[in-house]
Amino acid sequence: MPPDDELVLLRRVAAKDRKAFEALYHLYYRRLFGYVLKLTRKADVVEEVVNDVMLAIWSHAPGFDGRSRPSTWIFGIAYHKALKALARRQPESANGREGPELVAEDEPESLAVRRELATVLGTALHRLSPEQRAVVELTYFYGLAYTEIAEIVGCPVNTVKTRMFHARRRLKEMLPELGVSSYAG
Amino acid sequence: MHEREDHDERIHQRIWELLPWYVNGTLSEADRERVEDHSAVCRRCRDEIETCRQTSEAIQGLGEVAPSPHPVQLQRVLARIDEAEQAEKSEWQEQRAGRRPFGLPLRAFQELIAATPRPLRGALMAQVAIIVLLVGVLVWTELRTVRSPAVPGAPVIYQTLSDSAPAQRPGGTVALRMMFSRGATEKEIRDLLLAVHGEITAGPSPFGAYTVEVAAAGHPVSVVLTRLRSDSAVALAEPVAGSAPAKGTR
Repeated sequence: MPPDDELVLLRRVAAKDRKAFEALYHLYYRRLFGYVLKLTRKADVVEEVVNDVMLAIWSHAPGFDGRSRPSTWIFGIAYHKALKALARRQPESANGREGPELVAEDEPESLAVRRELATVLGTALHRLSPEQRAVVELTYFYGLAYTEIAEIVGCPVNTVKTRMFHARRRLKEMLPELGVSSYAG
Repeated sequence: MHEREDHDERIHQRIWELLPWYVNGTLSEADRERVEDHSAVCRRCRDEIETCRQTSEAIQGLGEVAPSPHPVQLQRVLARIDEAEQAEKSEWQEQRAGRRPFGLPLRAFQELIAATPRPLRGALMAQVAIIVLLVGVLVWTELRTVRSPAVPGAPVIYQTLSDSAPAQRPGGTVALRMMFSRGATEKEIRDLLLAVHGEITAGPSPFGAYTVEVAAAGHPVSVVLTRLRSDSAVALAEPVAGSAPAKGTR
């Protein structure tokens, strides 16, 4: 859906149009799910965070000023909700230094996390801080410009560059440490 | 020589920082040209561009889990919206139902007291009591007289509570401005008016003041006023400006 159409949808949500909200929910659910899972790497918080994000969209849509794209605004909400959920659940693991955690069986997203963690790159990404991982994923997976990433994570452009700088260095250090010289799992 | 090397290194660092976004194709045209010009002569940056490409491809290769929403999940969100809106509505209705003239200031005062450290609470209460007392005195003073005579002996000018009643009446009566006590009954007021041969001729004004005409003949106005003011049913009894002599009226 073009950003202009999303903007119309968001304006209707701001006017408390439930049909528009349902349309926006269906439009964003899968994107948000994948994004929050990539940021948190915790299957058990994803659903809750996505629901919180949708509720925040409903409540705060009237305050959306249209200066950024709707997707930037929504991903920004999701970023902050995801980080809060991580801090709430396991403050001690927020720096991402612990090893891969056990995840619940029989859930497709859990299987995906396990599959990803089974790869060398997945393990290395898991060991980055959530803030660094967000910049890496938003750049390489979602293909966003650093200015847009700065808007999403709510920090200056230079901070985005700095986080990416450290993430790149850590990935370089970790991959040989994990026994591989390439990114292939 | 060192300065030149430092300068080149700074440029290299700035370009190096941009490489992930060069690879994902989101750099501005100016930045893209800078990266290309520099990497043409910088082996480290060319190698890093390759590393960034590999990282990008590998991360994209990990894919994404993106299940479709189950209808129950949407219903859960809608139910939470309903709950939030219902709570908001109830709160609003509660506020409306519980709205009393002094409800809000009183609650704010209670919160202020609760937030004040215990040793200071007494001082705060005393201060509020003084303010209330002063406001009371001010209101009372306003109701009684406002202006004093500038020159001794000059007629006292009384401020009326309403301009609707004429000051002087034909037939030798004196007009008084009167307010009755909040708890005064109709019978008490009636008995009082009969005792002073008074008659309500106007009022109540927006302030609750009445114009009462009393017979001036036979009794000095001061006696009538003293009688009225001593009655618990009377909150205020004053001659209307110009309707009585200054002397002995106060």
